[in-house]
Amino acid sequence: MTPRLVDIPVLETERLRLRAPVASDFEPYRTYRMSPARTAGVGGPRSYLQCWDYFGELFGHWILRGYGRWIVADKETDAPFGLVGLFYPPDWPEPEIAWTVFAHGEGKGIAHEAAIATRAHAYDTLGWTRLVNLIMPGNTRSIALARRLGAVHESDYAHPDSGTLQIWRHLSPGECA
Amino acid sequence: MTPVLAHTPVLETERLILRAPAARDWPEWDAMMQSARARFVRPGDYAEALSWRGFGHAIGHWVLRGFGNFVVTRKGDDTAIGAAGPWFPAGWPEREIGWSIWSAAAEGKGYAAEAARAARAYAYDTLGWDTAVSYVAPENARSIALAERLGAVRDANAATPGDAPAIVFRHPHPEAGK
Repeated sequence: MTPRLVDIPVLETERLRLRAPVASDFEPYRTYRMSPARTAGVGGPRSYLQCWDYFGELFGHWILRGYGRWIVADKETDAPFGLVGLFYPPDWPEPEIAWTVFAHGEGKGIAHEAAIATRAHAYDTLGWTRLVNLIMPGNTRSIALARRLGAVHESDYAHPDSGTLQIWRHLSPGECA
Repeated sequence: MTPVLAHTPVLETERLILRAPAARDWPEWDAMMQSARARFVRPGDYAEALSWRGFGHAIGHWVLRGFGNFVVTRKGDDTAIGAAGPWFPAGWPEREIGWSIWSAAAEGKGYAAEAARAARAYAYDTLGWDTAVSYVAPENARSIALAERLGAVRDANAATPGDAPAIVFRHPHPEAGK
Protein backbone atom coordinates (compact mmCIF):
# COMPACT_ATOMS: atom_id res chain seq x y z
CA MET A 1 0.00 0.00 0.00
CA THR A 2 1.94 3.01 -1.25
CA PRO A 3 0.33 6.38 -0.54
CA ARG A 4 -0.03 8.51 -3.66
CA LEU A 5 -2.22 11.11 -5.27
CA VAL A 6 -5.03 9.71 -7.36
CA ASP A 7 -7.56 11.30 -9.67
CA ILE A 8 -5.07 13.84 -10.94
CA PRO A 9 -5.89 14.57 -14.58
CA VAL A 10 -3.24 13.66 -17.14
CA LEU A 11 -2.72 16.03 -20.07
CA GLU A 12 -0.97 15.00 -23.24
CA THR A 13 0.56 17.23 -25.86
CA GLU A 14 2.51 16.41 -28.96
CA ARG A 15 5.70 15.59 -27.07
CA LEU A 16 4.76 15.73 -23.41
CA ARG A 17 2.74 14.11 -20.68
CA LEU A 18 1.67 16.25 -17.74
CA ARG A 19 1.14 13.86 -14.83
CA ALA A 20 0.94 13.80 -11.03
CA PRO A 21 4.29 14.21 -9.25
CA VAL A 22 5.68 11.11 -7.56
CA ALA A 23 8.42 10.61 -4.97
CA SER A 24 11.08 9.80 -7.57
CA ASP A 25 10.67 13.25 -9.15
CA PHE A 26 12.21 14.82 -6.05
CA GLU A 27 15.82 14.32 -7.17
CA PRO A 28 15.53 16.21 -10.47
CA TYR A 29 13.42 18.85 -8.74
CA ARG A 30 15.91 19.53 -5.98
CA THR A 31 18.81 19.53 -8.44
CA TYR A 32 17.03 22.37 -10.20
CA ARG A 33 16.00 24.23 -7.03
CA MET A 34 19.48 24.08 -5.49
CA SER A 35 21.15 25.41 -8.64
CA PRO A 36 22.08 29.13 -8.37
CA ALA A 37 22.13 29.48 -12.15
CA ARG A 38 18.73 27.87 -12.69
CA THR A 39 16.92 29.78 -9.93
CA ALA A 40 18.23 33.31 -10.43
CA GLY A 41 14.81 34.41 -11.74
CA VAL A 42 12.78 32.85 -8.93
CA GLY A 43 14.52 34.06 -5.80
CA GLY A 44 17.72 32.05 -5.83
CA PRO A 45 18.71 28.57 -4.71
CA ARG A 46 17.18 26.80 -1.74
CA SER A 47 18.65 24.34 0.73
CA TYR A 48 18.03 20.61 0.48
CA LEU A 49 15.62 20.83 3.41
CA GLN A 50 13.66 23.70 1.87
CA CYS A 51 13.46 21.75 -1.39
CA TRP A 52 11.96 18.82 0.47
CA ASP A 53 9.35 21.09 2.06
CA TYR A 54 8.50 22.75 -1.25
CA PHE A 55 8.24 19.44 -3.02
CA GLY A 56 5.93 18.11 -0.34
CA GLU A 57 3.72 21.16 -0.73
CA LEU A 58 3.15 20.26 -4.38
CA PHE A 59 1.06 17.33 -3.24
CA GLY A 60 -0.78 19.38 -0.66
CA HIS A 61 -1.67 21.97 -3.28
CA TRP A 62 -3.47 19.34 -5.34
CA ILE A 63 -5.41 18.16 -2.32
CA LEU A 64 -6.26 21.58 -0.92
CA ARG A 65 -7.15 23.33 -4.19
CA GLY A 66 -8.20 20.46 -6.41
CA TYR A 67 -5.67 21.54 -9.02
CA GLY A 68 -1.93 22.04 -9.03
CA ARG A 69 1.32 21.61 -10.87
CA TRP A 70 2.13 18.58 -12.96
CA ILE A 71 5.42 16.99 -13.68
CA VAL A 72 6.03 17.61 -17.36
CA ALA A 73 7.44 14.34 -18.59
CA ASP A 74 8.75 13.05 -21.88
CA LYS A 75 5.86 11.20 -23.49
CA GLU A 76 8.10 8.33 -24.54
CA THR A 77 10.45 7.88 -21.60
CA ASP A 78 8.54 9.55 -18.72
CA ALA A 79 11.73 11.47 -17.82
CA PRO A 80 10.77 14.69 -15.99
CA PHE A 81 11.53 17.92 -17.86
CA GLY A 82 10.01 20.31 -15.36
CA LEU A 83 7.00 21.42 -13.42
CA VAL A 84 4.10 23.28 -15.00
CA GLY A 85 0.55 23.87 -13.87
CA LEU A 86 -1.86 25.94 -11.86
CA PHE A 87 -0.50 27.51 -8.72
CA TYR A 88 -2.43 29.45 -6.11
CA PRO A 89 -0.99 29.58 -2.60
CA PRO A 90 -2.66 31.93 -0.09
CA ASP A 91 -0.08 34.67 -0.63
CA TRP A 92 -0.78 34.88 -4.38
CA PRO A 93 -3.25 37.48 -5.68
CA GLU A 94 -4.94 35.03 -8.05
CA PRO A 95 -4.24 31.67 -9.69
CA GLU A 96 -1.37 31.56 -12.15
CA ILE A 97 0.16 29.27 -14.71
CA ALA A 98 3.48 28.42 -13.11
CA TRP A 99 6.32 26.96 -15.13
CA THR A 100 9.69 25.57 -14.24
CA VAL A 101 12.02 23.76 -16.59
CA PHE A 102 14.92 21.62 -15.39
CA ALA A 103 18.31 22.09 -17.10
CA HIS A 104 17.96 19.20 -19.55
CA GLY A 105 14.54 20.45 -20.64
CA GLU A 106 15.69 23.96 -21.51
CA GLY A 107 15.54 25.40 -25.00
CA LYS A 108 13.09 22.87 -26.43
CA GLY A 109 9.87 24.85 -26.12
CA ILE A 110 8.72 22.56 -23.34
CA ALA A 111 7.40 25.26 -21.02
CA HIS A 112 5.52 26.82 -23.93
CA GLU A 113 3.92 23.54 -24.96
CA ALA A 114 2.99 22.65 -21.37
CA ALA A 115 1.70 26.15 -20.61
CA ILE A 116 -0.67 26.05 -23.56
CA ALA A 117 -2.01 22.69 -22.37
CA THR A 118 -2.38 24.08 -18.84
CA ARG A 119 -4.19 27.18 -20.05
CA ALA A 120 -6.57 25.07 -22.13
CA HIS A 121 -7.25 22.82 -19.13
CA ALA A 122 -8.01 25.84 -16.92
CA TYR A 123 -10.39 27.39 -19.43
CA ASP A 124 -11.99 24.38 -21.09
CA THR A 125 -12.10 21.82 -18.27
CA LEU A 126 -12.16 23.92 -15.10
CA GLY A 127 -14.18 26.73 -16.65
CA TRP A 128 -11.87 29.51 -15.51
CA THR A 129 -12.10 32.87 -17.23
CA ARG A 130 -8.82 34.49 -16.23
CA LEU A 131 -5.21 33.57 -15.66
CA VAL A 132 -1.99 35.38 -14.86
CA ASN A 133 1.68 34.78 -14.42
CA LEU A 134 3.63 36.23 -11.54
CA ILE A 135 7.17 36.94 -12.70
CA MET A 136 10.16 38.48 -10.96
CA PRO A 137 11.19 41.62 -12.88
CA GLY A 138 14.58 40.27 -14.02
CA ASN A 139 13.35 36.88 -15.20
CA THR A 140 13.78 37.58 -18.91
CA ARG A 141 13.14 34.01 -20.05
CA SER A 142 9.77 33.85 -18.31
CA ILE A 143 8.86 37.30 -19.55
CA ALA A 144 9.68 36.19 -23.08
CA LEU A 145 7.51 33.12 -22.71
CA ALA A 146 4.63 35.13 -21.26
CA ARG A 147 4.85 37.48 -24.26
CA ARG A 148 4.96 34.56 -26.66
CA LEU A 149 1.76 33.26 -25.08
CA GLY A 150 0.13 36.62 -25.69
CA ALA A 151 0.17 37.80 -22.07
CA VAL A 152 0.67 41.47 -21.20
CA HIS A 153 2.29 43.11 -18.18
CA GLU A 154 -0.79 44.43 -16.40
CA SER A 155 0.39 45.56 -12.97
CA ASP A 156 2.73 44.76 -10.11
CA TYR A 157 2.10 42.83 -6.90
CA ALA A 158 4.02 43.44 -3.68
CA HIS A 159 4.65 39.98 -2.27
CA PRO A 160 5.33 40.00 1.50
CA ASP A 161 8.60 38.03 1.13
CA SER A 162 9.60 38.02 -2.52
CA GLY A 163 9.16 41.75 -3.19
CA THR A 164 7.72 43.11 -6.41
CA LEU A 165 6.29 40.56 -8.82
CA GLN A 166 4.99 41.49 -12.24
CA ILE A 167 1.46 40.36 -13.02
CA TRP A 168 1.23 39.23 -16.64
CA ARG A 169 -2.37 38.80 -17.80
CA HIS A 170 -3.03 35.94 -20.18
CA LEU A 171 -5.38 35.94 -23.13
CA SER A 172 -8.99 35.32 -22.11
CA PRO A 173 -10.76 32.11 -23.18
CA GLY A 174 -12.32 33.95 -26.13
CA GLU A 175 -9.00 35.40 -27.26
CA CYS A 176 -7.35 31.95 -27.23
CA ALA A 177 -9.94 30.40 -29.50
CA MET B 1 -12.44 14.29 -10.60
CA THR B 2 -11.27 15.37 -7.15
CA PRO B 3 -7.63 14.66 -6.36
CA VAL B 4 -7.17 12.66 -3.19
CA LEU B 5 -4.36 11.10 -1.24
CA ALA B 6 -5.11 7.39 -1.56
CA HIS B 7 -3.73 4.06 -0.40
CA THR B 8 -3.23 5.32 3.14
CA PRO B 9 -3.94 3.23 6.24
CA VAL B 10 -6.64 3.85 8.83
CA LEU B 11 -6.00 3.03 12.47
CA GLU B 12 -8.73 2.41 15.00
CA THR B 13 -8.44 2.63 18.77
CA GLU B 14 -11.06 2.33 21.47
CA ARG B 15 -12.36 5.89 20.92
CA LEU B 16 -10.50 7.22 17.90
CA ILE B 17 -9.99 6.90 14.16
CA LEU B 18 -6.60 7.90 12.77
CA ARG B 19 -6.66 8.60 9.03
CA ALA B 20 -4.61 10.49 6.45
CA PRO B 21 -5.11 14.28 6.22
CA ALA B 22 -7.64 15.56 3.68
CA ALA B 23 -8.73 18.92 2.33
CA ARG B 24 -11.67 19.05 4.77
CA ASP B 25 -9.21 19.17 7.70
CA TRP B 26 -7.83 22.55 6.64
CA PRO B 27 -10.14 24.73 8.85
CA GLU B 28 -9.22 22.83 12.01
CA TRP B 29 -5.53 22.78 11.10
CA ASP B 30 -5.47 26.50 10.37
CA ALA B 31 -7.41 27.37 13.54
CA MET B 32 -4.83 25.42 15.52
CA MET B 33 -1.95 27.19 13.76
CA GLN B 34 -3.50 30.57 14.56
CA SER B 35 -3.91 29.70 18.21
CA ALA B 36 -1.41 29.82 21.02
CA ARG B 37 -1.45 26.00 20.88
CA ALA B 38 0.87 26.19 17.88
CA ARG B 39 3.64 27.93 19.81
CA PHE B 40 5.59 24.69 20.14
CA VAL B 41 5.35 23.71 16.48
CA ARG B 42 5.43 27.04 14.67
CA PRO B 43 8.80 28.64 13.97
CA GLY B 44 7.56 32.25 14.03
CA ASP B 45 4.48 34.41 13.81
CA TYR B 46 1.36 33.04 12.14
CA ALA B 47 0.95 33.63 8.42
CA GLU B 48 -1.77 31.93 6.40
CA ALA B 49 0.67 31.05 3.62
CA LEU B 50 2.99 29.30 6.07
CA SER B 51 0.14 27.45 7.72
CA TRP B 52 -1.10 26.33 4.30
CA ARG B 53 2.32 25.18 3.20
CA GLY B 54 2.78 23.31 6.46
CA PHE B 55 -0.44 21.42 5.85
CA GLY B 56 0.63 20.74 2.28
CA HIS B 57 3.91 19.41 3.57
CA ALA B 58 2.08 17.07 5.95
CA ILE B 59 0.23 15.64 2.94
CA GLY B 60 3.37 15.46 0.81
CA HIS B 61 5.22 13.62 3.56
CA TRP B 62 2.87 10.66 3.00
CA VAL B 63 3.78 10.50 -0.67
CA LEU B 64 7.49 11.09 -0.20
CA ARG B 65 8.02 8.71 2.72
CA GLY B 66 5.14 6.29 2.42
CA PHE B 67 3.93 7.20 5.91
CA GLY B 68 3.04 10.35 7.77
CA ASN B 69 1.01 12.14 10.36
CA PHE B 70 -2.49 10.80 10.84
CA VAL B 71 -5.36 13.15 11.55
CA VAL B 72 -7.05 12.11 14.79
CA THR B 73 -10.85 12.05 14.92
CA ARG B 74 -13.36 10.71 17.41
CA LYS B 75 -15.39 7.71 16.31
CA GLY B 76 -18.65 8.93 14.85
CA ASP B 77 -17.36 12.46 14.20
CA ASP B 78 -14.97 13.03 11.30
CA THR B 79 -13.82 16.45 12.58
CA ALA B 80 -10.07 16.58 13.17
CA ILE B 81 -9.15 17.04 16.84
CA GLY B 82 -5.42 16.55 16.44
CA ALA B 83 -2.69 14.62 14.72
CA ALA B 84 -0.35 11.79 15.58
CA GLY B 85 1.98 9.65 13.60
CA PRO B 86 5.37 8.63 12.37
CA TRP B 87 7.28 11.65 11.06
CA PHE B 88 10.61 11.85 9.27
CA PRO B 89 11.07 14.90 7.04
CA ALA B 90 14.40 15.55 5.36
CA GLY B 91 16.97 16.76 7.87
CA TRP B 92 15.40 15.08 10.90
CA PRO B 93 18.16 13.19 12.74
CA GLU B 94 15.94 10.14 13.18
CA ARG B 95 12.39 8.97 12.96
CA GLU B 96 9.87 10.48 15.29
CA ILE B 97 6.48 9.73 16.76
CA GLY B 98 4.66 13.08 16.90
CA TRP B 99 1.35 14.13 18.38
CA SER B 100 -0.73 17.26 18.80
CA ILE B 101 -4.21 18.10 20.07
CA TRP B 102 -5.71 21.00 18.17
CA SER B 103 -8.25 22.48 20.59
CA ALA B 104 -8.69 22.97 24.31
CA ALA B 105 -12.03 21.15 24.09
CA ALA B 106 -10.29 17.93 23.07
CA GLU B 107 -7.62 18.21 25.75
CA GLY B 108 -7.45 16.35 29.03
CA LYS B 109 -9.26 13.27 27.81
CA GLY B 110 -6.29 11.07 27.05
CA TYR B 111 -6.79 11.31 23.31
CA ALA B 112 -3.15 12.20 22.60
CA ALA B 113 -1.94 9.19 24.58
CA GLU B 114 -4.39 6.88 22.83
CA ALA B 115 -3.41 8.20 19.40
CA ALA B 116 0.33 8.22 20.10
CA ARG B 117 0.21 4.59 21.28
CA ALA B 118 -1.56 3.59 18.08
CA ALA B 119 0.94 5.55 15.98
CA ARG B 120 3.87 3.97 17.77
CA ALA B 121 2.45 0.47 17.37
CA TYR B 122 1.96 1.19 13.67
CA ALA B 123 5.56 2.39 13.30
CA TYR B 124 6.93 -0.67 15.08
CA ASP B 125 4.63 -3.41 13.84
CA THR B 126 3.78 -2.27 10.32
CA LEU B 127 6.66 -0.02 9.30
CA GLY B 128 9.21 -2.16 11.11
CA TRP B 129 10.97 0.61 13.01
CA ASP B 130 13.32 -0.64 15.70
CA THR B 131 13.45 2.63 17.61
CA ALA B 132 11.61 5.94 17.74
CA VAL B 133 12.00 9.29 19.46
CA SER B 134 9.74 12.21 20.20
CA TYR B 135 11.09 15.76 20.10
CA VAL B 136 9.46 17.97 22.71
CA ALA B 137 9.99 21.68 23.36
CA PRO B 138 11.50 22.12 26.86
CA GLU B 139 8.60 24.30 28.00
CA ASN B 140 5.89 21.99 26.66
CA ALA B 141 4.96 20.50 30.02
CA ARG B 142 1.94 18.57 28.75
CA SER B 143 3.88 16.77 26.04
CA ILE B 144 6.74 16.02 28.43
CA ALA B 145 4.24 14.41 30.80
CA LEU B 146 2.74 12.44 27.95
CA ALA B 147 6.12 11.22 26.69
CA GLU B 148 6.88 9.95 30.18
CA ARG B 149 3.47 8.34 30.43
CA LEU B 150 4.22 6.50 27.19
CA GLY B 151 7.34 5.06 28.78
CA ALA B 152 9.77 7.21 26.78
CA VAL B 153 12.94 8.34 28.54
CA ARG B 154 15.20 11.33 27.95
CA ASP B 155 18.12 10.58 25.63
CA ALA B 156 20.67 13.32 26.24
CA ASN B 157 23.02 11.95 23.56
CA ALA B 158 20.55 12.06 20.70
CA ALA B 159 20.67 14.84 18.11
CA THR B 160 17.81 17.34 17.80
CA PRO B 161 16.30 18.68 14.58
CA GLY B 162 16.77 22.27 13.52
CA ASP B 163 17.84 25.11 15.76
CA ALA B 164 15.03 25.17 18.32
CA PRO B 165 15.86 23.58 21.66
CA ALA B 166 14.20 20.22 22.15
CA ILE B 167 14.23 17.36 24.59
CA VAL B 168 14.66 13.99 22.91
CA PHE B 169 12.50 11.26 24.41
CA ARG B 170 13.31 7.74 23.30
CA HIS B 171 10.45 5.29 23.24
CA PRO B 172 10.71 1.77 24.64
CA HIS B 173 12.09 -0.80 22.23
CA PRO B 174 9.42 -2.60 20.18
CA GLU B 175 9.94 -5.81 22.15
CA ALA B 176 9.85 -4.09 25.54
CA GLY B 177 6.12 -4.13 25.99
CA LYS B 178 5.49 -7.60 24.63
